Amino acid sequence: MSKTERPPVEPLSDIAWSRVERGVWSRLDETEVITKERHASRLWWLAAPLVAAAAVAAVVVFHSSPRPERDAGPTRVVSEASSSSVSLGDAHIALDPHSAIVMNSHDDSPNVIVEQGAAWFAVEPRGSRPPFVVLAGDTRVRVIGTRFKVARSEERVEVTVDHGIVEIGYHGDVTRVANGQHWSSDAPSTVLGITEVVPPAPVQTQTQTQPQTQTLPAVQAPTHHVQTSVTPATSAGSAAANDRDALKYAELARLEASAPDSAMAGYLSLSKGSGRWAQVALYAAGRLAADRREARATTFLEIYLHRFPHGANADDARQLLARLKGTR
Amino acid sequence: MAARTPREHDVALAQRAGAGDRSAQRELFQAQKQSVHHALFRVLGSNRELEDLLQDAFVAIFRALPSFRGESSLGRWCQTIAMRTAYATIAKRRPPSLELVEDQVADATPDVQRVMRAREAVRRLYSALDRIEAKQRIAYALFVIDGRTLVEVAELTDSTVLAVKTRVWRARRELLRRARKDEVLAEYLSELGGES
Repeated sequence: MSKTERPPVEPLSDIAWSRVERGVWSRLDETEVITKERHASRLWWLAAPLVAAAAVAAVVVFHSSPRPERDAGPTRVVSEASSSSVSLGDAHIALDPHSAIVMNSHDDSPNVIVEQGAAWFAVEPRGSRPPFVVLAGDTRVRVIGTRFKVARSEERVEVTVDHGIVEIGYHGDVTRVANGQHWSSDAPSTVLGITEVVPPAPVQTQTQTQPQTQTLPAVQAPTHHVQTSVTPATSAGSAAANDRDALKYAELARLEASAPDSAMAGYLSLSKGSGRWAQVALYAAGRLAADRREARATTFLEIYLHRFPHGANADDARQLLARLKGTR
Repeated sequence: MAARTPREHDVALAQRAGAGDRSAQRELFQAQKQSVHHALFRVLGSNRELEDLLQDAFVAIFRALPSFRGESSLGRWCQTIAMRTAYATIAKRRPPSLELVEDQVADATPDVQRVMRAREAVRRLYSALDRIEAKQRIAYALFVIDGRTLVEVAELTDSTVLAVKTRVWRARRELLRRARKDEVLAEYLSELGGES
C-alpha cells in the first residue's frame, strides 16, 4: 500500500439515506409538536379563566350555527407516538401515530393532504357544499359524506372505507369505493372486499386545529383483513393476474427490511413472468442485491436491461449499474 | 441585482431552514449529506452505526441553525456540529471487550491477499481507536486518516491547533504501543504516516 492511499469511504445506499432522511424529518416534527404543546401548556395556566369563559361562549355559538370552514389557513398537524385527533369544520380526523397532514379550507372547499402515515376521516354529509377532498401523493379522494381511512407510505396509498362511498382519482382513472371495501395504489383497478374494519371509537369533536394527545383505540391494519376472494373492478383475467402480482410485489417490498432473503427469492420468482410486475420485480432484485453489496446485483441489472431496455426502471438500472461498476 | 455570494446563499438557506421551511431543510440536507457522512465515516470507520449517528447529527444541525452567522462556510459549520455529535456518541461508548482474531488470508492470490490485508489493517486500526479517548480518536482520524490540516481539524473540533497536535501525538503513541504485538497494524501505521 502506498503512503497516499487512504481507506475508502464506503457510500451509504440510497435506501439507507432515505431512512436517515425520514428519521430526521420525523424527529424534527416531534420536536415541533412538543414545543407547541409546552407553549400551549404554559399559556393555559395564564389564560385559564379567559378560556373557561370563551368555552361557554363557544358552546352557545356551536349550537346556533355550523362550524366555520372559511378563512382557515393551511395548518400542519403531526402526531407523535400516540394517536391524535383534530377537526376541520364538521369533519373529524383521527391520526395514527407518527403521521402528518396539512389541512386547508378555502371557500368552503376543505382539503387535507396526507404527507405521511395514516388518518381516519369522519365527514358529515356535504349536501350542497363542495366535496371534502383528501390528497395523498397522486391519489385524490373525493368525499360526499362518509367515514374512511387514507394511509400513505412514500408514494403508496391505501384507502379503506368504513361507511359511505368515496371517489378515488388516480392517474386519470376514477374508482368508487364503498363501505367495507379497500383500495390500494399498488392495484388501482381493483377494489377489495374486507371482512372487518375497526375505525377509531368516536371522540368528542373539537374545533381547534392544534393536535391533541389523547389516545385513541388502535386501528387494525385493514390489509390484515383482505380476503383472498377479490371483486375486481375490471373482469379481464389478465387484469386480475396483474393485480395479484401487484399485491405480491407490495408484500415483498414490505418484507425487505425484516426478511431480505425471502424478499429476494420472491422478487426472482415474480420476475420469471412476462407481465408488468415481472420487470419491476427484476429491477427490485437488482436494487436489493446492490443494497446488500452482493456481486450478483450487476447480473440482475444487466439481465433487466437486456429483457426490458425501455422498461420503467431502465434509467435507474443503468445509473445503478454504472455506479456499481465504477466502485469496483 | 447582484448575484449572491456563496456565503450569502449559506446564510439565507440557514435562516429559511432554521425557521422550519421544509424545502430549505431538504436543500440543506441534500447539499451537506455527503460531506457530513464522509467526516463521520472517517471517525467511525464503517457504516455500521452511521445511520443513527447521521440522524443525530442532522437533527443537531437543524436545531442549531438559528445560531449560524456565516463566519465559516455552511459545510464546515455542519461538519463541526457533526463532530460534536460524534464526540458525544463515542465518549458514551464502552470499549469492546473482545480482541481481534486474525483472518485467514494465506490461501488467497497475492492481489487478493494485499486487499484483504489492507482491509484487515483498517479494521484493526479502528478497533484500536475504539480504545482511545474520544477527542484523540477524532483528531487522529481527521488528521492522519483523512489527511486534513491541523488548522482544519482545530476548527472542526472547536479546539486550538496545539490541542489537536497533542491529541494526535497521544493517539499515535497509544496506537504504536498496541501495534508492538500486532504486525499488521504496525505496518499499516507506518504506511499511513501523518507526521505532524
